[in-house]
Amino acid sequence: MSNTLRPYLNAVRQTLTAAMCLENFSSQVAERHNKPEVEVGTSKEVLLNPVVISRNDKERVLIETSVNSLRVSIAIKQADEIERILAHKFTRFLTQRAESFVILRRKPIEGYDISFLITNAHTEQMYKHKLVDFIIQFMEEVDKEISEMKLSLNARARIVSESYLSQFN
Amino acid sequence: MAFRKIDIDALEEDAFGEDEIEFQEIGELRPLSDVEAEVNSRAQEVRSLLQRGNTSGALTTALQNPPYGAPYHAAKARNTQTVMEAVISVKVVDMAQVAKGLSPEEQDVLMKYLYAGMAAPEQYNSGHLLSFHEKLTEVAGQGCIVRVITDRRTV
Amino acid sequence: MSDAPIVNEFNQGPISCHAFNGDRTELAICFNTNVVSIFRKSGASWTQTSTLAEHDKPVTSVDWAPRSNRIVTCSQDRNAYVWTLDGATHQWKPTLVLLRINRAATFVRWSPEEDKFAVASGSRCISVCYFEEDNDWWVGKHIKKPIRSTVLSLDWHPNNVLLAAGCADMKARVFSAFIKGIDKKPAPSPWGEKLPFNTVCGEFSNGSGGWIHSVAFSPSGESLAFTGHDSTITVVSPGTGDVQSIRAPFLPYLSVIWLNESQIVAAGHDCAPHLFELKGQQWAFSASLDAAVKKADVGFTARDTFRRMDSRAQSATSTDTEVHTQHQNTINSIRPFSGTPGHVEQFSTSAIDGKLIIWNAHSISRGLGNLHL
Repeated sequence: MSNTLRPYLNAVRQTLTAAMCLENFSSQVAERHNKPEVEVGTSKEVLLNPVVISRNDKERVLIETSVNSLRVSIAIKQADEIERILAHKFTRFLTQRAESFVILRRKPIEGYDISFLITNAHTEQMYKHKLVDFIIQFMEEVDKEISEMKLSLNARARIVSESYLSQFN
Repeated sequence: MAFRKIDIDALEEDAFGEDEIEFQEIGELRPLSDVEAEVNSRAQEVRSLLQRGNTSGALTTALQNPPYGAPYHAAKARNTQTVMEAVISVKVVDMAQVAKGLSPEEQDVLMKYLYAGMAAPEQYNSGHLLSFHEKLTEVAGQGCIVRVITDRRTV
Repeated sequence: MSDAPIVNEFNQGPISCHAFNGDRTELAICFNTNVVSIFRKSGASWTQTSTLAEHDKPVTSVDWAPRSNRIVTCSQDRNAYVWTLDGATHQWKPTLVLLRINRAATFVRWSPEEDKFAVASGSRCISVCYFEEDNDWWVGKHIKKPIRSTVLSLDWHPNNVLLAAGCADMKARVFSAFIKGIDKKPAPSPWGEKLPFNTVCGEFSNGSGGWIHSVAFSPSGESLAFTGHDSTITVVSPGTGDVQSIRAPFLPYLSVIWLNESQIVAAGHDCAPHLFELKGQQWAFSASLDAAVKKADVGFTARDTFRRMDSRAQSATSTDTEVHTQHQNTINSIRPFSGTPGHVEQFSTSAIDGKLIIWNAHSISRGLGNLHL
């Protein structure tokens, strides 16, 4: 784990904690509705400034906040073609099972690989600091997961090619 | 909904327009040429302070009176560059000390610029900004980040 | 009386609002649902006696008039009810209020004289309600201009006429809520002399944006304190023209009350009540009232964890953050519990973690005394 990961995750953690100050807020536009303002975007004054935290030009996190919801989008490290494919498959696998992850958004924001949508209902049901922990842990795991997959993919390719080429001995 | 193409909610008299919220905080806009002249002269000043090795002085100078408001697009980018020059010249070991030396207002402005810098990773060194972010948060607390998110006067 | 805060755990879900009756033996509380539960104190615990179920959307605010023993509730279903206790059956009887608003009602408070109450709403207005004898109903009169967004909180001036409102358009305002026929002409105050209904007596902002979550008049009514989403607390005194904004290094505060003329308590997303004090002419943050709070601790555990990860090149088993405060989640309301308006001795906080805690203000000052030694 390189030494820029720690400050990166720390910055994401601090920013998420600061952004995750949500409250119940009923829509000003539609009667008797209550929807995530960051998604509908109909009342400008309840949206806050989006911020980006980047580790390098590939890995970055976008945090968009509103009065009752926040959206966290993560761009995962993709150094080469294999990592790109793996990241794509991996996030696709997750988003298709979005219900089980509660805070996962079904579709990532453009330019990012995976997005979370956290509403005031989530912060009421779950401890706020645990939600932050979850996202940080997810970010740690996903990098590890992808590099492991890449290793095992390469190992497998090597074995396959070895056993294939051994026929020509 | 083919029959209704107009966003009637935007026509609500009291609803906020796009620029209006930012404007509400800034008040009167100054002439564009004034702002640009100020930003350019500050860039000069910061550079000369840096040449003399006065990094904390350069940073404080760079953080004064930042240009706010949508029309000053170019001036904002120029000023971000100036602040970044000062930020980059602060050594990692000195960061905490430099952050402590700033007033609460300057800390808030610096935090805004750190986020502005991180939004352009191809231009500025994110690693350095992340370390400064960490040190500044230790000094100024999470309130400082909250104010970056809430303040409509963006840089 | 022990100094430790009294923790009441209800375990019925997040508390969205609470209010005590006059002698503090009964409690109206809403667990983030469309019903309000009434609890009666029995020994050290609380037993539920009845429920107020008339709303069909989450209840946003409740207030209990101490002397006339009436409860007012408001909800996201755009309605407010005044509840009166029927002497014979001991049942709470609802009366619908004619609010005439078409968005959620967000906040409600009785006026000090208990002859009016004000309802804040998402339809960019405040409905000031009073009882109309002729028609035998509670009816609202609107304060509309210049509110441009959802009104989030209200507070009455002790003179029963002025009303402060915190709004999502980043402004705190003071209005006149003078109702002809009910109010007597108020004495002139720093806020103004002639006060017809809807006069704007002051409009303030905290400088760096952020919705105004809570407003509170000082016990004398001379000053107004408000907290914004940018983690600031601002105190304005129109008499002296003094405006002070304190930039707190913590997360935003959602609720604020005055203990006395020189002490303010605010609480919110940091899960602990924080004390602000007037020292000389300057307001400043003085202490967190939750003894368990160790701000640096949280940072250090996180850092240690990361350091461990760094050295072992992998994540340690837990990156778990611990919250060391009594409340484990956002505090959304503080209310005075005992003492007089100018000298609050105890106050209660309710939070999303389902706890209601009663804090001793005097233990705080004693604790601080120790600190200074």
